[in-house]
Amino acid sequence: MKLFIKKLAAALGFVTLAGMTPAIAEYPEKPITLIVAYSPGGGTDTAARTVAKFVEKHLGQRLVVENKSGAGGQIGFSALARANTDGYEIGFINVPSIQLVKQLRENVPYEMSDFAPIANIQLDPVVVAVNADSPYQTLSELLDAAKADPGAVNIGADGPQSNNQLQLIVAEDALATKFNFIAFDGSGPAIKATLGGELAASLPSASSAGSHVDAGRLRVLGVFADERSPLFPDVPTVSEAAGVKVPSVGASLRGIAAPKGISDAHKARLEKAFADVMADPDFLAHAETAGLPLKYMDAAAFEAYLQEADAALGKYIDLMK
Amino acid sequence: MFENMLLGLQALADPALLLAVLIGVVGGVIIGALPGLTSTMGVALLIPVTFSLPPQVGLAMLGGIYCASTYSGAISAILLNIPGTSASVATMLDGHPMAKNGEPGRAISLATFASCFGGLVSIVALLFLAPQLAEFSLRFGSPEYFLLAVFGITVIASMSAGAMEKGLIAGALGLILSTVGTHPLTGTMRFTGGVPTLFDGIPLVVSLIGLYSIPEVIDLIDRAKSTHTGAAGVDKTSPFATLRELARQKFNLFRSSLIGIIVGIIPGVGCSVGGFLAYDAAKKGSNNPEKFGNGAAEGLVASETGNNAVTGGTLIPLLTLGIPGNPVTAVLLGGIMIHGLRPGPELFTTNADVTYGFIFSLFLSNLLFVPVGLLLARYGLRIVQVPAGILAPLILSLAVIGAYSLRSSVDDIWIMLAIGALGWGMAALAVPRAPLVLGLVLGTLAEGELARSLALVRGDLGAFGMQLVTRPVALVILILCVSAIIHGIIQHRRDSKMLE
Repeated sequence: MKLFIKKLAAALGFVTLAGMTPAIAEYPEKPITLIVAYSPGGGTDTAARTVAKFVEKHLGQRLVVENKSGAGGQIGFSALARANTDGYEIGFINVPSIQLVKQLRENVPYEMSDFAPIANIQLDPVVVAVNADSPYQTLSELLDAAKADPGAVNIGADGPQSNNQLQLIVAEDALATKFNFIAFDGSGPAIKATLGGELAASLPSASSAGSHVDAGRLRVLGVFADERSPLFPDVPTVSEAAGVKVPSVGASLRGIAAPKGISDAHKARLEKAFADVMADPDFLAHAETAGLPLKYMDAAAFEAYLQEADAALGKYIDLMK
Repeated sequence: MFENMLLGLQALADPALLLAVLIGVVGGVIIGALPGLTSTMGVALLIPVTFSLPPQVGLAMLGGIYCASTYSGAISAILLNIPGTSASVATMLDGHPMAKNGEPGRAISLATFASCFGGLVSIVALLFLAPQLAEFSLRFGSPEYFLLAVFGITVIASMSAGAMEKGLIAGALGLILSTVGTHPLTGTMRFTGGVPTLFDGIPLVVSLIGLYSIPEVIDLIDRAKSTHTGAAGVDKTSPFATLRELARQKFNLFRSSLIGIIVGIIPGVGCSVGGFLAYDAAKKGSNNPEKFGNGAAEGLVASETGNNAVTGGTLIPLLTLGIPGNPVTAVLLGGIMIHGLRPGPELFTTNADVTYGFIFSLFLSNLLFVPVGLLLARYGLRIVQVPAGILAPLILSLAVIGAYSLRSSVDDIWIMLAIGALGWGMAALAVPRAPLVLGLVLGTLAEGELARSLALVRGDLGAFGMQLVTRPVALVILILCVSAIIHGIIQHRRDSKMLE
């Protein structure tokens, strides 16, 4: 019990005390600010705070999360684009949200070229989920129903203008079918409406559907991804189940980026720290229990993904307006 | 089941858990009492701290913050006429008049014990009825949400004592303000003028700060200039004397708890609505409805019991179905998942020690905020005697800091000041402000759910109308709405006749 009290005290010390600065004047010399474009407690914020806690060991400095939430991420992304380039201000970016905001709205004060990607941390695909009591056993049954009466089958997801809606539009385009899309205030409420029988199906993120599937309340019919999800190894990808290639651009990525203009030395130091944390067994074990869907991409791979996604998005953006 | 509960009780013997509850409660009382600091923020900031703690200890700390902060908004509502959280807006309607009449001590004690009662009853419901009540929460679809929001809006009649027309104007103003921002279904921007800060709408907490603190500051400055000292008396009511008073309000306490629990188990509605609906029911059921708004103990007790009963209610769909009812429980869900726990039946069997340990710790949190709150209030009471020249700048700085800290946004300070100017105008014209808050809280819900209900039936108005009368839960709320409106009209006619 004394140990618990010690742990508690240590944990509290973690918030109250400022990080101790090592004697050597080497970057980073002081805590680094991590701008998060969403409010405290959300999925992005939780991911950011988790990574921040574990990267401390590899960076030698604390990462201080600063929430700049609002306008679907626009405020935080804009803040990151204009942040100091001294290496002490970096941020979490969400793909494809950062591109959707840019392409769907006018006068958005950032360009994708304002960001220098450091590493991708998470990849959370969109899944097709139905109530466990649903008559639809497979994805093709659901698609047949939609094709029989286009625009009549209710499908709900986070939205509007979300990555989930983007994924639906991409799928409708590839599969030549039409659903009646209903926007909800997040994946959670869309799942609730599926459990309550209001929707034929919903398109939540894999991570938010996971616990409901484990509890036997939801059934996942397909995963929008190039390969099967480790969360649902028995569930086919949508492309597999439908027999048609459906691009998975709706998948939500969360990664670290710095404002363009950060020095190469600082960037390399950050890249190394995040590469190390993504191989840290403690972090991996924690992510596993917490259900965080990790997917490491180094700076080059992340940048390439961003450019590909940007191009792919252009094709569908008019369908979302 | 009882064996599992015993496992949970054992967790209470852990001194680390007791310490965690104490830290959570003290922190929660402070967070709740300061306008602008929200329980969501408190819980979110502590989650990384709880990583390294055993799950039940970490959850106990988060639970302590949640229960205590929902209560302690009443302290600033009563003493300063500024709600610490949106949950305490209805508390203020009678709590502040009572304090002004020289009984701040009595008001705080009543609020404290009523909150404790409501919180405890809701945890009992969580302990014994969680699975059954969770099923009920799933029967709430979009049509039911829409009707519930409409019913909530009818409460405006109760909020606008004797000034129905002014109340309706304030309520309509709130509804209009709630339309600012992105349309919940289509994503169309409305009245934002291209300012990104307004894309998510006018933030509720920021408006609350402006609406109540700015007029208070101006009023204080006014009083400081006049020769009138304005220092109200402070009563020496013993907290325990109010317990006897509460015992006479048994029916009110149980009715308000029940309303709070029901509001709690419906995801997405929230603590403030629990307080408003309980206040409304108390006023309609009271023999002295004319005293409401002038320091009626019944109103204060109803609101505080109701809003704290929401806390246990929101945990029911959270723990059994993994569906969070409000932003705080959404953050709590993250805190639960991060320990590898998954909401659902297995939480009450396989992880019974953690789950029941958490539930029992909530009893403790609800009991513990009584001494902590009363102790804080004992010193806080003197705030009503602080000279206006000191108090006014203090409140103004707190308001500015509170508005800024929510989203680290300077724009929010301007929004707060603009809403403050509106609030001052309303106060000067004796227009009640609570209906505006109600409109702002429920406008988005009513609009979004109406649009969603219609989208679900592909715009078929006939089909939507049929749903309202054929779905049992919807029909019950529809009847409540109609009777509330008729009651309001009759009441208004009676009041106007009396005036003639």
